[in-house]
Amino acid sequence: MKIRLLAIAIIVAFGMARLPIEQRITEEHRAAFFHGAQLNLGLRQQLGQMGFLAALSGFRAVVADVLWIEAHNAWERTEWGTMKLLFDTVTALQPRCMMFWDMASWHMAWNASVAALNDKTQPREALRLKAQREYIEVGEDILLRGIQNNPDKGFLYEKLGALYDQKMHDPCKAALYYEKAATFPDSFPYVKRIAAFRLAECPGHEREAYDKLVALYKMGKTERVPTLFTKLHELEEKLSVPPQQRIYSPKIP
Amino acid sequence: MNATKHITFSPARIAAIASNTLLELVRLKVFYFMLIFALLLIGSSAFMVRFTFQQQFQVLKDVSLGAMSIFTWLLATLSTAMLLPKDIEDRTLYTILAKPVPRLEYLLGKLLGVLAMLAIALVFMSALFLVVLYWREQIVLAETARTTAPEELDAALREVRGLTFNINLLPGIGFIYLKAAVVAAMTLLLSTFASSWIFTVIVSVMMYVIGHVQPIAREYWLGAIPGGTVASPVLKILLGLIAVVFPDFQLFNLVDDIVVGNAVSAVMFMKTAGLGFGYVFIYTLVGYLMFANKEL
Amino acid sequence: MPDPAISIHNVTKTYPIPFRKEIVVAVKNLSLDVEPGQVYGLLGPNGSGKSTTMKIVLGLVRPTSGKTEIFGRSSTEVESREDVGFLPENPYFYKFLTGEETIQFYGKICGLSGAKLRERTKELLALVGLENAAKRRIGGYSKGMLQRIGLAQALVQEPRLLVLDEPTAGVDPAGSREIRDLILDFKKRGLTVLLCSHLLSQVQEICDRIGILHEGVLVREGRLDELISIQNQTELILENASPELLAVIAREASAGGARLVEQRKPQTTLEQYFLDVTGGRK
Repeated sequence: MKIRLLAIAIIVAFGMARLPIEQRITEEHRAAFFHGAQLNLGLRQQLGQMGFLAALSGFRAVVADVLWIEAHNAWERTEWGTMKLLFDTVTALQPRCMMFWDMASWHMAWNASVAALNDKTQPREALRLKAQREYIEVGEDILLRGIQNNPDKGFLYEKLGALYDQKMHDPCKAALYYEKAATFPDSFPYVKRIAAFRLAECPGHEREAYDKLVALYKMGKTERVPTLFTKLHELEEKLSVPPQQRIYSPKIP
Repeated sequence: MNATKHITFSPARIAAIASNTLLELVRLKVFYFMLIFALLLIGSSAFMVRFTFQQQFQVLKDVSLGAMSIFTWLLATLSTAMLLPKDIEDRTLYTILAKPVPRLEYLLGKLLGVLAMLAIALVFMSALFLVVLYWREQIVLAETARTTAPEELDAALREVRGLTFNINLLPGIGFIYLKAAVVAAMTLLLSTFASSWIFTVIVSVMMYVIGHVQPIAREYWLGAIPGGTVASPVLKILLGLIAVVFPDFQLFNLVDDIVVGNAVSAVMFMKTAGLGFGYVFIYTLVGYLMFANKEL
Repeated sequence: MPDPAISIHNVTKTYPIPFRKEIVVAVKNLSLDVEPGQVYGLLGPNGSGKSTTMKIVLGLVRPTSGKTEIFGRSSTEVESREDVGFLPENPYFYKFLTGEETIQFYGKICGLSGAKLRERTKELLALVGLENAAKRRIGGYSKGMLQRIGLAQALVQEPRLLVLDEPTAGVDPAGSREIRDLILDFKKRGLTVLLCSHLLSQVQEICDRIGILHEGVLVREGRLDELISIQNQTELILENASPELLAVIAREASAGGARLVEQRKPQTTLEQYFLDVTGGRK
């Protein structure tokens, strides 16, 4: 009996001692973007008992992949509503997976929105446009939530920039997010160029955009793409830059 | 005069029991699990061809590491649960403890045998996983080289490589092992006082599952959840008990986030591993106390 | 004066019954000594406390009160088991090991290694007659072979004391005879043997002293020949005695105040008869 009591005492003492240590380590993990998945009752309803248990027991990546495959199948059947629900679950399970956020927003903002616009079962164009807009906004929301979960990665900023650029035709917001993406060390070189190009299209930011384009020009041959010169020319005209200060010249390749 | 001189603490005795335990577990055909794992790996890889290569690599890594996790957990639970009961039932335990073998060394030998088996299993599964990952990577790299414009080739190949092997996968596999080691030590402790191996397995599985919600109980107990106060004192005590008694297995569930790009610093690894070793040490210590007192 | 091989002082062992106030008394106030070089038979019906006593001597179970010693060292000390080899009842060894590997395993946990261990293994396999089965897995061994490998593992560290629990249980007569002969050989080498057996005829053949336990109490203890001899009777065995001579002996006995209780032909044992008919071990 004494030994059993001693054993229980050791377990309890160890338990009490490790609680603050575990909490500290968990917080350090969270600061490094681990344990971001929200395993709550909402998820339990979506996953069912076994799925939730599996997700809880350390197999959430596999559960997410299974649901992802289901979402892919739903896409093949153009079941956009089902896809949206599955994407929400998948991203809740794997909030640090860029691909899930990216593909989810792409399906909504590009595929679903175009399908809504071309929906032959909806005769009223206004409603089709509204549905299109709503799907694009769903895609936007997905990326914004993705960025909230992944503020340390530039990838989703770039994708959000592309969404504002290509789907919402908002060069100012596009420029903002492209610019943000460009600050990350792993961003592609073209991202800062596109940021400057979109800024050039944003009313009230011509001078700022021009300075950025000049800085890009000065970086050398790799940045001197045809669009750079086109944008430089447009801004030099808009800003009435004195000829001797102009960079753009039709003769310069 | 007898042939041997008594040594108070003998690593050689522990090693003899450990290697015997390892041999026992391996000869139990537990490595046929490896075959199922291999088929799972390659099967999942072939199944995914209709997806993009990003998705294929994602699923390959998730399924492989998930399989490693589940198999090491199963191996740790089932093989450890039957060690003591089998020796008691067969009376082999009596023949061993009737020799000058302290009970601590017997227990340590058994645990180390299981840990060795888990390590071998994981090394094998990891090697297989990395080989398949490399194989798929080479196929995708060749395809990419064939279809990508020369000026974008470098970036494209870099993107493919970035999606396959990531050095952080190695500490991720280390965490899988650590989790299984904690499960093994916990199961061994349970078997020192359990009435049957089935009871040990059931309680171990229950503790494994509850161990994954322990962090929630702990955070409520410590008041670490903003706005998350517990009104009922009975509920608070219950949460405190769960937090104190059950291990936190979520601490070792890092590989899911590692696969999607999270990095593990050396300091983070050492701290988490340190806590894991702490669990193994305490469970072994308590298991020894129970076993030392056990009427055989 | 050398220490007794086994010394049991006022040992009592009780087990509580869960959820009840009563206790089970397995051994009650037991005291006995086994001198070095003796073969001591511990007898008793099932549940009399023999196994519990053995386990207490081996340090596998702690007594509720009292103490036991092996060659002067307390049984609770691990070192005391350097001097002991134990063969439990119906042992199962690790089925996946061969006979040779089994002995080597036990040798290693006793601290033996290398060439010394290999030599000792060969020696023991020869002693118990299992050289031809050395490379076969224990899972394929017969009952008799298991008992013999059990004896071999018990002897691996050259102990001074052997504790054997039903060493011939379930073994065929030839095998049983071989094990009995081994025990007698151990005795000749000066080993002390504590033997528990239900085969009383065998105990009678090999033990010097016996103790009889009944419901945890030692009811009889002493030299075997003293305990079982019928004190007031004498046995004469005559060869080629004629009926007239037998009549004379009977008359003289009567005249001397004795009574001729029985006159019959002596019998061999069924075991010996069986062995003679079957030719013993092949």
